Amino acid sequence: MNFLRQSWIVAAKDLRAELRTKEALNASLSFALVILLLFSFAFDPTAEQTREISGGLLWIVFAFAGALILNRSFARELVNDCLDALVASPLSGAALFFGKCLANVVLLLAIELVCLPVFGVFYNVRWTRQFWPLLLVLALGTWALTVVGTMFSALTVNLRLRELMLPTLVYPLLIPALIAAIQLTTALVGGQPLAGDLLNWLKMLIGFDIIFTALALALVDTVLVG
Amino acid sequence: MDSRNFTFLVYGLVAAWLILFAYVAAVAARERKISREIENLKQILKDQKGN
Amino acid sequence: MRQKILYGLCLAAVLLLGRNLAVMLLELPDEAAQGAIYRIIFFHVPAAWTAFVGFFAALVASVIYLAGKNLRYDALAVAVTEVGLAFATVNLVTGMIWGRIIWGIWWTWDPRLTSMLVCWLLYAGYLMLRRAVEEPTQRAKVAAVFSIFAFADVPIVWFSIKWWRTQHPQPVVWGGGSMDPAMWRMLFLNWVPLLLLFGVLAALRMRQEQAQREMDALRRQAHAL
Repeated sequence: MNFLRQSWIVAAKDLRAELRTKEALNASLSFALVILLLFSFAFDPTAEQTREISGGLLWIVFAFAGALILNRSFARELVNDCLDALVASPLSGAALFFGKCLANVVLLLAIELVCLPVFGVFYNVRWTRQFWPLLLVLALGTWALTVVGTMFSALTVNLRLRELMLPTLVYPLLIPALIAAIQLTTALVGGQPLAGDLLNWLKMLIGFDIIFTALALALVDTVLVG
Repeated sequence: MDSRNFTFLVYGLVAAWLILFAYVAAVAARERKISREIENLKQILKDQKGN
Repeated sequence: MRQKILYGLCLAAVLLLGRNLAVMLLELPDEAAQGAIYRIIFFHVPAAWTAFVGFFAALVASVIYLAGKNLRYDALAVAVTEVGLAFATVNLVTGMIWGRIIWGIWWTWDPRLTSMLVCWLLYAGYLMLRRAVEEPTQRAKVAAVFSIFAFADVPIVWFSIKWWRTQHPQPVVWGGGSMDPAMWRMLFLNWVPLLLLFGVLAALRMRQEQAQREMDALRRQAHAL
């Protein structure tokens, strides 16, 4: 079986498992919505202020809520020694990792697509003017978040204090991707087209995705198998 | 030499060297801890040999 | 013998530093606007260079470890990362002091300072990660992978923060391109003793790490008997 087919199988398994219980999904979604509302209470931003902070606000929400899902990614396999079984199977470590990334990206994107309308309503922002570019940026940024987060989920799966380690390690690594995603999102939500300076940020985000995906795929076998 | 802000230069240099010395102190403290552990281990092994 | 080499290097570093300090304070011309504080740059910048030498050495050690699983390289990796982190701290603190005097603020999202802060967070995370894993082989593996990721991030962080900050107004940054050649010389000349110190400290720390590991193994043996 080739790499993509293996990844697809893993992704489908993870998605099916998650969608049956919806544990992490619900927790993550509620967390995201609560933070969005809390920020609205805490800062009560004017229209002008909201326009300036929209990217930062959204990506902080996505990063925090995403951590809940990413943390569980490999951790859920610890029960009943499922992780050992998966590693021992003919599945390559890279395919296992890639499959989990695909599942996580789908879950995270779903959460983000629910958050956006809520954001629009509670902050009085019309965010749909650059819908498709915004979706592209969302996808690229989420992929960065997912690749790094899933990788570190694998890395920290056996550690105590896993929940603490993951955010502390992952967020500093993600800073370039977050900055790029935030700049792009603020501009796109404000209605600016994807041109000029913004293209540099887009290139950086794509570059980040490529570099870290390659690194992760190269190293994940070492991490899982040793 | 222009002596404006000279005190601050001194603060800066002191800060830089304090940090490095703090690190050296940490390394030294670790060294002491290791020596103590070695002594402990030697003691345990001697006791075992005695038994 | 090894001890003597280390002492010798230390002495060389101290002597060179002494000489540099004398030259710095007595001979070098002054910078127009800043007064004496600018001389801090002769420690601030080489400390950053030294820190990056450390982080790069950590990358190399990590890769070699993963390739051969020789735990000596793991000891090397943690040693150079720790010492590098110490020098990064020096860079950050001297930068903040300088900023306080020149710009009036303790912190600013200046590209270089911010990038160094992110590096600091990453490598402090590395040390924290190591503490969370008890088993030596697993610890070495996990730490090595993280070290590789962290270093891959360093140039990207640098570029992204530089672009980010050029879009925002900044305090006027001193000294873009032109610097008195005597100052450049001093910058490099002061880097040498810092590098020597780095080497000595890293060697000491590496030996400690190896001793610690051997002792943990011995202790396990002793308790097993």
